[in-house]
Amino acid sequence: MTTIIFMKRKEFYLIIEPLTERLYRFAYSLIPEDLQAEQLIIDGFNAFLIKQKKNLLRREVDFKEKRDLQVLRKIYFKAILRHISEIGLRRSTQLQDHTRLNKPSEFKAFYNLEPKLRMILSLRFDAQLTVEEIEEISQMAKYEVIEKLHNGRFLLMNELNKGVIAHG
Amino acid sequence: MDNFYTKKITPYLDGSLSSEEQNEFEAFVRTHPEVEIEIKKKQEEMSLLKDLMPAPQLTSQSLESLNNELRVSIFNLLKPEPKNALDRIKHGLEDWFSR
Repeated sequence: MTTIIFMKRKEFYLIIEPLTERLYRFAYSLIPEDLQAEQLIIDGFNAFLIKQKKNLLRREVDFKEKRDLQVLRKIYFKAILRHISEIGLRRSTQLQDHTRLNKPSEFKAFYNLEPKLRMILSLRFDAQLTVEEIEEISQMAKYEVIEKLHNGRFLLMNELNKGVIAHG
Repeated sequence: MDNFYTKKITPYLDGSLSSEEQNEFEAFVRTHPEVEIEIKKKQEEMSLLKDLMPAPQLTSQSLESLNNELRVSIFNLLKPEPKNALDRIKHGLEDWFSR
């Protein structure tokens, strides 16, 4: 027999903890600087907690059911990504405007893309989310997500081909 | 090759087909090996693309410190309002045991 219990804060943390590294990769795709990316996760996470405070612990979760946990973890993952992307896009533009952010020497082609394209590519190819899920996170229309996905891929592949030609 | 279905390769790999379209496409691919070859080519292209994207990793120290920050946020921002003295004791104990 399995017991159904209401979530405690510690249990909620156990659902969130395995997401940290994936959140970091996403934040870093928007702001390629260690501390800034970490701060972005904290700010996005706090915004998520404040917005959803009332409902977060009121879920009945069967912690013995791995599938339930995975489903819940994915729901939270997407909700946190939504806040990180909202704050991250704004912050990434501000940091670039003030030239406080130097583009990293690695992955130049990727960081030459506008932040929205980087966000969509990262959500699709790193976070492995579907177009519908990206639509939900980015608050963009489906056609816009598809267009950005196409443009981002095209521009990156172009850079790759240029590199191949340049190096013979 | 059926143009209608080849046009669906990229949306299929992008995950933008509806589940109905996806099932239809997969059924078509099973009987058309040439489309399967095209899909493999596109998949290789996509894995090249992933190589052009950063995949940074947190050091164990940074990971621990970031997790601590998230944990503190959870404990501070999701602190339930105590309804009575018993609640206050219960929440205090929860805080204490979770340190």
